[in-house]
Amino acid sequence: MTSATIAQGHDPLAETGEVYEDAVVIRLIQFSVLWAVVAMTAGVYISAELLWPTIDLGQFWLSFGRLRPLHTNGIIFGFGVSALMATAFYSVQRTSHVRLFSPALAWFCCYAWQLVVLLGGLSLLAGWNTTKEYAELEWPFDIAIAVVWVIFGVVFFGTIARRKIRPIYISNWFYGALIIVIAMLHIVNNLAIPVTVDKSYSLYAGAQDAVVQWWYGHNAVGFLLTGGFLGMMYYFLPKHSGRPIWSYRLSVVAFWAFTYSYIWAGPHHLHYNAIPEWVQSLSVVMSVILLAPSWATMINGIMTVSTAWEKLKTDPALKFIVLSLAFYGLATFEGPMMSFPSVNVVSHFTDWTIGHVHSGALGWNAMITYGTFYFMVPRLVGAPLHSVRLANIHFALALAGTMLYIVAMWGAGVSQGLLWLSVDEIGELSFSFKDVMTSMQPFYALRLIAGLIFLTGTLLMTYNLFKTLAGRQAVVAKAPPVDPAYAINKEVTA
Amino acid sequence: MGNSIYSFLLFRALYAPKAAFAKLAGADPAPWRVLFRYALWLLILPPLFSFVGASKFGWRVGAAQPLVMDSNALLLISLGYFFILFFGLVTTALISRWMADTYGANASFGRHVALITIVGEPLAVASMAHLFPDVFFNALVLIPTTIWAMYLLYTGIPLALGIPPERGMLMASSLVGWLLVAAVSLLGISMSLWTLGVGPLLGV
Repeated sequence: MTSATIAQGHDPLAETGEVYEDAVVIRLIQFSVLWAVVAMTAGVYISAELLWPTIDLGQFWLSFGRLRPLHTNGIIFGFGVSALMATAFYSVQRTSHVRLFSPALAWFCCYAWQLVVLLGGLSLLAGWNTTKEYAELEWPFDIAIAVVWVIFGVVFFGTIARRKIRPIYISNWFYGALIIVIAMLHIVNNLAIPVTVDKSYSLYAGAQDAVVQWWYGHNAVGFLLTGGFLGMMYYFLPKHSGRPIWSYRLSVVAFWAFTYSYIWAGPHHLHYNAIPEWVQSLSVVMSVILLAPSWATMINGIMTVSTAWEKLKTDPALKFIVLSLAFYGLATFEGPMMSFPSVNVVSHFTDWTIGHVHSGALGWNAMITYGTFYFMVPRLVGAPLHSVRLANIHFALALAGTMLYIVAMWGAGVSQGLLWLSVDEIGELSFSFKDVMTSMQPFYALRLIAGLIFLTGTLLMTYNLFKTLAGRQAVVAKAPPVDPAYAINKEVTA
Repeated sequence: MGNSIYSFLLFRALYAPKAAFAKLAGADPAPWRVLFRYALWLLILPPLFSFVGASKFGWRVGAAQPLVMDSNALLLISLGYFFILFFGLVTTALISRWMADTYGANASFGRHVALITIVGEPLAVASMAHLFPDVFFNALVLIPTTIWAMYLLYTGIPLALGIPPERGMLMASSLVGWLLVAAVSLLGISMSLWTLGVGPLLGV
């Protein structure tokens, strides 16, 4: 839009002023919090089972083998994806200055996704399981996930296509990569021949199956738990701190470097296995290269927030995001380090891996999501957070729980690696599997305490957000006028 | 700068950390003096305790027999431990000094070295747990001590470096990020050394 068109009596507000569809965002946040509580409770329960195996009460559906995939799928697909859908829908409207493309489809996406997670979770309890990690759901759910995911993509990219701002903001690149890459990974990895409704066989066999599975598994971590949540960070951190991204150029460079290098790193899950050695070596090289874009993003986030310290006086939510960046730094360094064969030979199959996953899942994913929810919910309903004090207590609990979890699993992992590989003078293994597992009890007790602390914090947040939301509707938010310098129809109007 | 600050830090920082931070806030000690008259005495404790504990009792990783290593390997490990701690202290102080510009904190390098040493002092003293080399016992002692050290980091930065607590929180969190990375690097380096044959006898 130029001054000429304004001078002709063209009202810039007439072109914008679309009302954002925010009710669906609130509903997705509610579902995300619900799944966080359910899946974290399952996690705490199975960690207790490792201490007291008989608390499954002889019920198959309460056994570790069935509750564990419920825990991981509930966190990734229930808590994580619902949070990503909520934040993607919220931010894509505001960075495009338009209402969501087809709110009806967005609502369908919201409820259909919850139904898939609910029924999928029940199927896992019933023992339906493909045995592929993070892809345990059987073929009927895989098809349903693919369909809902495509609808998520239609709503997201449809909104981008209708945008009134010419540049596509960096957070949308990350959300876009999340949608495209996860669709690709999910469909390819889950190609299978169905036998019955609850059983299918993978299209791939043996080592190929393993490579495809970890191409999926690692990039699910990469593009969902890292890339998707980076989209969240790139929108909400600048909003939160009231500062532009420290280096926008760096964020774009990091995005492409991240997208290019992540996809190769999967085979580092398969060191010393029956896959070609060059594939293993390539995955190590790519894992190390990956450190550069990961840390570029971390530095970008830390520098963005570094001048906004006054905000911390009044805003407990920003603390979560600041700390999440520290844990993001840890997890993205730890991963490449664990991919070195000389480290992996000791760390693989130990609880160090579980600790690594949780330094990412608790320290990065959960913390940044909590910070974002504390930021969004009061704004969505136009009311202050019910209790800032509770949020501060939650912060302390989340930090303590995460630290204790990581340290306990470091101790357990190192001990396991050491004991499993210890040999006596004639080369016999010094310890039996049972000896090693028995010696893990103290660490598992610490981990249980850590999980309980973290879950308590999550429950406090649930109460806090519930009280903030209770009896309130989404406030009507309209797209502001578009800055003519960034308007998509600049050439047309000029 | 009087000599008193070093003995004050060495003996009182443990139980009166806030007084130590306050004293540090008014001082500009030479970094090498802090290092040799304060930090070094603390840095030798963990390797010393570790050497004595491991040679007398052997590391218990929870299973029945303790892991016994020959004294040459133990000496090598203890020396390595000392140099890693020394390297860790100096690099953390350097990084803290480097971050000071971003967070508007005092830039005296000696003050940063002293600050990091005060924060690490409880851990150095708690490393007495190495005398009883049981992994779980050590974790039980060192985890609460680490939490205490983190508390000292968050309270110490604003007091000793003269910045508002909120800004100190950001700087402390950035340093926590670095320290977590340093800790996990230590694990990775240890495992690589074991794989190479330095340390316990592993079937790899």
